[in-house]
Formats: sequence, structure tokens, C-alpha cells
Amino acid sequence: MTLNQRKCKLSRLGLSLFALLILVATLSMEPATGSNVTSGPGDVKTGYDSKTYETRSISVLKRKGAPADLMRVLQSPPRGLPPVPVPKDNPMTQKKVLLGRKLFFDRRLSLNETMSCAMCHVPEQGFTNNEMATAVGIEGRTVRRNAPTIYNVAYFSHIFHDGRETRLEYQVWQPMLNLNEMANPGFGYVVGKIRSFSDYKGLFESAFEGRGPGIETIGMAIASYERTIVSGNSAFDRWYFDNDESALSASAQRGFGLFTGKAGCMACHVIHKDYALFTDDAFHNTGLGWRFSVGDGQAEVPVQIAPGVKIMVPKKVIDSVGKPPPSDLGRYEVTQDPADRWRYKTPTLRNVALTAPYMHNGVFGTLKDVVSFYNKGGIPNPGLDPSIRPLGLTDDEMADIVAFLQSLTGDNVETLVRDAFAAPIGDRR
Amino acid sequence: MNTHRKTLYTAAAILFAGFFVLAAHPSWANETGLPHSMVKITGQEDFVHIWTLGAEGIGDEQDKLVTVDVNPNSKQYGKVVNALSVGGRNEAHHMGFTFDRRYLWAATLDTSKIFIFDIHTDPAHPKLIRTVTDFVAKSGGVVGPHTVMPVKDRMLITGLSNNRDHGGRSALVEYTNNGKYIATYWMPTDDNLQGAKKTGKYADGYNYDVRALTRLDTMFTSSFSGWSNYMMDFGKMLKDEQAMKRFGNTFVVWRLSDRKPLKVFDVPGAPLEIRVAIDPAHDYAFTAATLTSKLWLIYRDKQGEWQAEEIGDIGDPSKVPLPVAFTISSDDRLLWVTTFMDGTVRAYNIEDPFHPVQIYEKHIGSQVNMVSTSWDGKRLYFTSSLLSKWDKKGKDNEQFIKGFVWNGKELKERFVIDFTKEKLGRPHEMKFSSYSLYGKL
Repeated sequence: MTLNQRKCKLSRLGLSLFALLILVATLSMEPATGSNVTSGPGDVKTGYDSKTYETRSISVLKRKGAPADLMRVLQSPPRGLPPVPVPKDNPMTQKKVLLGRKLFFDRRLSLNETMSCAMCHVPEQGFTNNEMATAVGIEGRTVRRNAPTIYNVAYFSHIFHDGRETRLEYQVWQPMLNLNEMANPGFGYVVGKIRSFSDYKGLFESAFEGRGPGIETIGMAIASYERTIVSGNSAFDRWYFDNDESALSASAQRGFGLFTGKAGCMACHVIHKDYALFTDDAFHNTGLGWRFSVGDGQAEVPVQIAPGVKIMVPKKVIDSVGKPPPSDLGRYEVTQDPADRWRYKTPTLRNVALTAPYMHNGVFGTLKDVVSFYNKGGIPNPGLDPSIRPLGLTDDEMADIVAFLQSLTGDNVETLVRDAFAAPIGDRR
Repeated sequence: MNTHRKTLYTAAAILFAGFFVLAAHPSWANETGLPHSMVKITGQEDFVHIWTLGAEGIGDEQDKLVTVDVNPNSKQYGKVVNALSVGGRNEAHHMGFTFDRRYLWAATLDTSKIFIFDIHTDPAHPKLIRTVTDFVAKSGGVVGPHTVMPVKDRMLITGLSNNRDHGGRSALVEYTNNGKYIATYWMPTDDNLQGAKKTGKYADGYNYDVRALTRLDTMFTSSFSGWSNYMMDFGKMLKDEQAMKRFGNTFVVWRLSDRKPLKVFDVPGAPLEIRVAIDPAHDYAFTAATLTSKLWLIYRDKQGEWQAEEIGDIGDPSKVPLPVAFTISSDDRLLWVTTFMDGTVRAYNIEDPFHPVQIYEKHIGSQVNMVSTSWDGKRLYFTSSLLSKWDKKGKDNEQFIKGFVWNGKELKERFVIDFTKEKLGRPHEMKFSSYSLYGKL
């Protein structure tokens, strides 16, 4: 049965009614929500725009850990994903992974001991941060871009939104040394600090055949943990790769048709025959970066001051209490090629329902906002990617695409997040 | 000792204690809300200690406790007499005395360190005697100690954030006077209200200030925001739709004796400081919601139930004046409220606490934050810094302490210290000390 044939199973009437229901649900839907402690902030803010908002807060003490067999992903990658690529010079071992996990959650690994990798890549928030558009580093310093998810980062050869790094082993060091992230003054400083912590005694030596903490071993350990944050076997995977008809809703199936057809999303968010990473690992100009650089000309900005209460605040007032944001030229900063100005890497869409806000600058809070942006053809500018054009999607069709995107959440999210909760959080004792 | 004599001694002790409590009671309002029975400065304060944030590019860039001589009879009046650097920029914020008022605990919102200063040995030259560096680990992950409130031989400390997500869910943390960790009391959340009644729609688990009415065995807490927001560049945050959802909208009434939350009230727009009425007949407290610029009254009704009621605007809420600090006069008649954005202080007559009436306002500077008053209400001190990343930028980033006198009709400036010019940093909270307090006259 072809995918098109699948789509024809529902009667036209039933289809319309179902689409209407989905549309109504989607219009008020934000991603990464719910009251599940493993999928979304425990500080639930869904519906905060409305005066009818009610809290559904969860105690941080509910973050109960359950260690998982993270190595299992090596033997059998989840449905829809290829084997995890592991560099020959850093073979995965259980000890490395556990050591890497410990380092990932260690807040002491920043100059003033307030920031760990996990403060920006929060496990239950899609291993990103749902609570801010662009990241905040040590002492509150501004980071220009949205924290990308760690999910499935093992598969990518370009790391960061501008793709400036090529291996996780190398990437690890950038946030640790960047002045606006963890601000460690040097490699030796980090190495020395770890050596001084009694709770690391013997762990490196055991994981690396006698080698202690060092530039290489620290990077290798954290990279090893990150390579286990692999998530697939989503509803889409079961439907698409296993032909499980019941796995995907009719709306999501229609969304798939649009994704691969009329909307043309698949041109960049690639689906292969046997697996799907939903990215071409390449760089594109959507206009968002360009508009940020040239300015949006707004005189006032809507600011939410309470549930259901927004006021317009003059931009000059906001500017009086804010530093001018640093410029951001995207991939150009790596290649120095003018053609690469305001190009950013295509992100994976796996687990995208968990990783709001979206785009390199976190400007969109919902998947509906993202689809609507592309439906309008992005933002015209001299470097706009030719594949981005007005799509002419109806509201129903956009809702279907959102339903499809929501079907990309892996079935092991809870397992990975609970495992992360089991990691000790490193604080000065 | 026979039984009769024992009884007499006991009665005398109770009477003496009662007298002491009553006599000391008015000190609650003095120096922006010290606990009822804490020893007080009834006359002229000699020094103002200012917990000052280190600023990049200014002096040694470190947080420091700055001591200013404020006795008009002193040759050093209006001058900095001591500046004690503590190392690092820790987001210095609020402070609290131990119950005996000999030691000052200075909390920090970023690194969560608490610096403990000996004030009594030489008030002009406080000494750093201890630094608590393991607050986060000891407390089970509470980040950002804020208000430090003594309760007899204990210190209750509000936390603003947590080490899991740097969001706003947090807790109260209890220490002994000697700096030993005792317990953590997480704020009520929907999944664990801990027996408290959720009176409205919100139970966000956020935290900010704490005050107590010990005679009623009652404690109050308000709610602000987590590390991610209070450390974020203010302009960046205002434009960030997700971040702006992460503010507290709750006010919690607790039973003080066992730290048990009783009622959670909806107070939208980040209620910050709490000030409690002084008169024993006045069973109420005030708070101000900073984002919505609303003044709230928390009071006991005729049935003895605590209620929360919005009682008025502060400035023009549409212009987001951002009320950030306030103080109540010792006679419960006046409330001084500072608004950061317009750099203004407003005085409200609160003789009818349900209907505050603005009677005066004065522009203090391009930005203003903390206000502290003397016991007799004649002297007011203002500092400028709100948070290191929220202060105004460029020429409006004035950093000062200003001393004024209040003659009942207007404020008149007596001294100004420019903290940028003096290479000190960003002045935040103030506490008073005096030689007489420590028998050193």
C-alpha cells in the first residue's frame, strides 16, 4: 500500500471532522508541555497567554532518576535511525559514558561553579531549554543563539548552528572555554580542577586505561555520553518503516504527505529510504538572520507582564535596560564566504515537539508559528534560500503538518530523561 | 529555692520577657523590616552597610561590603569608611542580621555563596568571618539565596531558583545562627501543595521575600523568578516571550512554627518585597507586584482568615515603572515605594490600608532601587542597582547611595556617593549599625 493510498482510507466527511478537531487542538497547542516530569518543564506555562491560565507545576523533587543501559543503542539503534557512528579513536565504553554523564551535569566545571552543560541542555526540556529563546551563560552573559538539542547529535558532522565544529570531542571544549558560557580560563584550569575533585578519583584512569583527566579524555568522555542520547522509534518510524498502520493519526499522515509534497519540507529535512535524520546537515538562509541584522523597524514590543496580560513597551525603553545584541552572521562566520551570510544549519526534526522555542534564535514558541512562517515564504532578502517560497497551505494543512511533526517524538525519551535524572548534579560540597 | 520563690522568679521572667518583646516590637519597621524582637537602633545610626555588586571595568570588579558613615556629627559623614571585597561577582543582593544583630549574612543570587560578616566588633570595619560555599549542595539544589530572616537562633533563607533547570521553583532553607544547615522547605506546587489551600489559579512554587508576624505564628513569602531570568540581560528578557512567562504570580501564607504552607494566593506580576504592619492591632502586610505595578494588601478578615486584595496602582502601570522596594513607617502611616524605571520614590498614606493615597513623590535618579528609613522616619537612604544585568545601560546607569532627610513635607538631599566614580560597583541593599548598639560609645 502506498502512502497516498493510506491517506485515502478515511471518508471525506470523517476526514474533515477529524481535521477540524485537530485544527482546534493545534491552534492552542504549544510544544513541550504537559504535566509529565520527563517531557517538558515542570514549571508548565501552557496557556500563559490566556487569563484562564492555571498552573500545573511539578515539584523539582519529582525528578526521580532511573539508570538505563545507555550502551544498548550501539547494538540496536532505534527504528528509523542508522547505526550510531563512533570514531575509531574513541570507542564507546560503559565507563566512559558514565564518566561523561557525570561531567555533563557538573556545575563545578565553570569558572564560578554555576553552569554545567545541562543547565542549557535540560533533559526534560528536550535536552535544550524551553524557557528562553537564546541561551544565557555564566554571570548571565548573553549567548546569541538558541541552545540546540543533544538528541541524536551523534549523527551530525556539523555541530553548532553555524556548523563550526566537526566532532563532539572538540565541540565539548567551546562552551567550557567561551567567556559567555562557562568561562573557564584555560584547558589546564579545567583539567586541574577535575583532578582536585575527590569524587573523580580514579574514574578517568579506569575509563581510559590509566590516563587521567586531560584535554582529550574529558572531550572523549562527554562525547561518549552525548552519543548515547539517541532517540527514534517514533510513531512516524513505526508507520513509515514498519508499516504499522495504527501508529500514525490520519492528520499526521496527511501532514506527511504535505511535508514530502506540497510544502516541500523534505528538501532540507531529509528522509532516506532506510532511516531519517530529517536534516541535510547543510546551511540555509530563511531570512530570520537577515532581519535580525537589518532590524525589524518595530517601535514597540509586546511584553507579557502576567498571565493573559500583555502591554506594548516602547523599544527605546527596552533598549535602555538592554545591551545591544551581538551581531550574528551565521555560517559566514566560519567560511568568510559572503554567500553564507545568515545561513544556519538545518536542525533535525526528531523530538521537535520537545525542543521549543524554534529556529536558531528561538523566535518561535510553537510549531504552528514555524509552519506559518514557512507558509509565508520566510523573509525575502537577497540571500533567501530558493527552496523557501510561499506555500499556499490552508490552516487545516498547517495543522496536519504540525501533527506530523509531533509524531516524531522517540519512544525512549522517558528512559533517557530518567537516566539523566539519575546523574549526580555537581555542586561544591 | 522554694516553690513560691520559683513561681515569683518565673512570673518576673515572663513579665520581663513580655516587656522586652513589647518594647522591642516597633523595631520591626525600622531599617526596612527587621524582626520584632531584634535589638534596634532608636537614635542616630552611625553606619550604612551596603552590599555592593562588583562591576566589570570598575575598580577591583568584586562584590564588596561598603560601609558609609552617616552620622551627621562625624567628620566622615557621607563618606565611605570601609570597602571589604569578598572575591568574585556573585550577584550580591540581600542581607540579614543574626538575631543578636552581631553578624550580618550577605547572600548572593548567582554563586549562592553567603558571606558572614562580624559587625559588632568594629561597626566601621566589618570583618568577613566565614563564607558558606555549599548552600546549593546542602539544601538539595536550592539556588540563589535571597532574604535572610532570623527566627530566634535560626536563619530562614529564601531561595529563588534550583540547580536542575535554573527556573523559578525553589524553597526556603533553614540554617542555625552558626551556619549549620537544618532543613529545606520547598514551595508548594500543584502536585504537592503540602496541605496548603490553593485559593486561586496559581501555585507556581516560586519564591522571593520572607517576613513573619511572630505574634500570629504567621510567615509570608512572595515570588519572583529563577536564575535564568534574574541573571539575563533585562532588554533581552523583555523581548523573550518564553522568559516572560517565567515570573511568579503567588503569595504564600505559612504557619511560622513548623514552616507549613497554609494558603497560596494569586498575586499576578511578580510580587517582590513584603512589609508587615507594626501595630499589634494591625494584622496585615503589603507587597508590590513589580511587573503589573500593583500594591496588594494581605490581611486577616473578621473570621481570622488571611485574604489578599489588590489595593491600588503604583505610578502608571502602562509605563511599567517597576516598583522594586518599599518601606513602612514605624507608625504604620506611610509607605515609601521606589520605582526603578522612572527613578522615583512615592509616599503613600496607608492609615486606611485598603485605600492607600499617594501624598508625595520625588525623582531620586535615573534609576533607583532600595530604600531604607531610620526608625524615626526622618532619614531615608536610596541605592541605585536592581540586578547586575537589569540596571540601565549607558549614561542612565547611575550608581549611588543618596541620603535624604524627611521633614514631613519633602525630602531634602544631604549626601551623595557616586559608586562608579569611587570605583566600588553597583550598590544594592543597606543595613544600619551604630556604636551604641554594641556598647562602644
